Amino acid sequence: MINMPFTSDAIEVDDALQAIELYAERGWTDGLPIVPPTEGLVARFVEALDVAPDTVLGVEPTKGAVITAEKAAINAVMAGCRPEYMPVLAAAIDAMTAPEFGLHGISVSTMGSAVLLIVNGPIATELEMNSGVSVFGPGNRANASIGRAIRLIIINVLGTRAGDLDKATVGHPGKYAWCIAENEELSPWVPVHETRGIPAGTSAVTVAPGLGPFQIGQHHDDSPERILDAFIDPLFAMGPLMTEALILLCPEHLEHFREAGWEKKQVGQYLHENARRSATEWTTAGRPVPGSEDGGDESVSALISPESLVTVVAGGGGGAWSQIIPTWTHGARAKIVTKPVSV
Amino acid sequence: MSTESKIRVLDPTGQPTIVQQGMADRPDTLDGAVIGLMANNKLNSEPLLEAIYDVLAERFELGGRVAVNKGDASRPADPGVLDGIASDVDVVITANGD
Repeated sequence: MINMPFTSDAIEVDDALQAIELYAERGWTDGLPIVPPTEGLVARFVEALDVAPDTVLGVEPTKGAVITAEKAAINAVMAGCRPEYMPVLAAAIDAMTAPEFGLHGISVSTMGSAVLLIVNGPIATELEMNSGVSVFGPGNRANASIGRAIRLIIINVLGTRAGDLDKATVGHPGKYAWCIAENEELSPWVPVHETRGIPAGTSAVTVAPGLGPFQIGQHHDDSPERILDAFIDPLFAMGPLMTEALILLCPEHLEHFREAGWEKKQVGQYLHENARRSATEWTTAGRPVPGSEDGGDESVSALISPESLVTVVAGGGGGAWSQIIPTWTHGARAKIVTKPVSV
Repeated sequence: MSTESKIRVLDPTGQPTIVQQGMADRPDTLDGAVIGLMANNKLNSEPLLEAIYDVLAERFELGGRVAVNKGDASRPADPGVLDGIASDVDVVITANGD
């Protein structure tokens, strides 16, 4: 028998199928069937955090919605998580409820961004998370279910359902699940979490308010400069003076950077310096530079600074396919946030 | 079916935080009133507020206006912005002009 003092209403159903149908009817899902969150399962998930069920893991700043360990655990069960995923989920909740992340705005906006989770450190290996082939899925239990749990929490605990509070014009496939690990083994560079203040050896979750990814192939040249030149036109499509954006480098591209002795920061430096065009060209392309809407000859970069790019290494070994992932409002009103995992 | 074979599942939803807020006193007339126009930074919020002000100005002898932009449609205005406009105006109109 369960002794845990839950505060959530308990519902008695005949069997798992009835629970699945009930949760769908009540709008408590992402459209896919859920694992019924029985009291026994939820208790095991709360225990994995070693906290009381009413422990607050995060408070969404705009509406004041409280995410407790109990509610996180219920939604984690529903998403198909295992109990050992809970520390990652707790860190993700901590990160996405940070005021600078702007969770409410990114979740309801017509612009339609999703929460991208990037997991670093030993826990990614312990949970057998995917950082390699087909990193964005499908196929990996932890990646898929942790990402899904975050979405179910946004739907159920924050009350942000598509068509209701969530008014995204076209939505975002990452709103089903969008969670990866960084491929630290392959990378010669300092991993994402360490560049953002987390000590080496500590696990961490980085959350990014990601817009639609843009996939970039460059199979015809192996110099870092020519590889990055292939990113410039897509950056132009995103607009001038972005404060933040993610760039995901695949192993094949990365190998060419390694051979050329490039440091990670040079990626941002090169694109900041070379993804430029005049204010007039930005205006003609329908992306006017704020303050220079009528155009002009001055050269304006797609990135407001070399540090605007957050570079992540992930993906499979075959194929030269990297990505740019712009962020909601291009970083102006929602920031990428990293938090440590407490285990 | 016996009760023993049933399963108990938990409600995954959170309860909204509800804070009771009183309504501001409604003035009897806008004659002489200073109007606050609080835009939310959406593209057309300021033109919409200006249009509303113009309509009101046709109907009342307004005492002027104070326009502010809270800078972000998805976050509450900073307390300092609210305190500032509250001390400068008699009524405030806010609008979402996407």
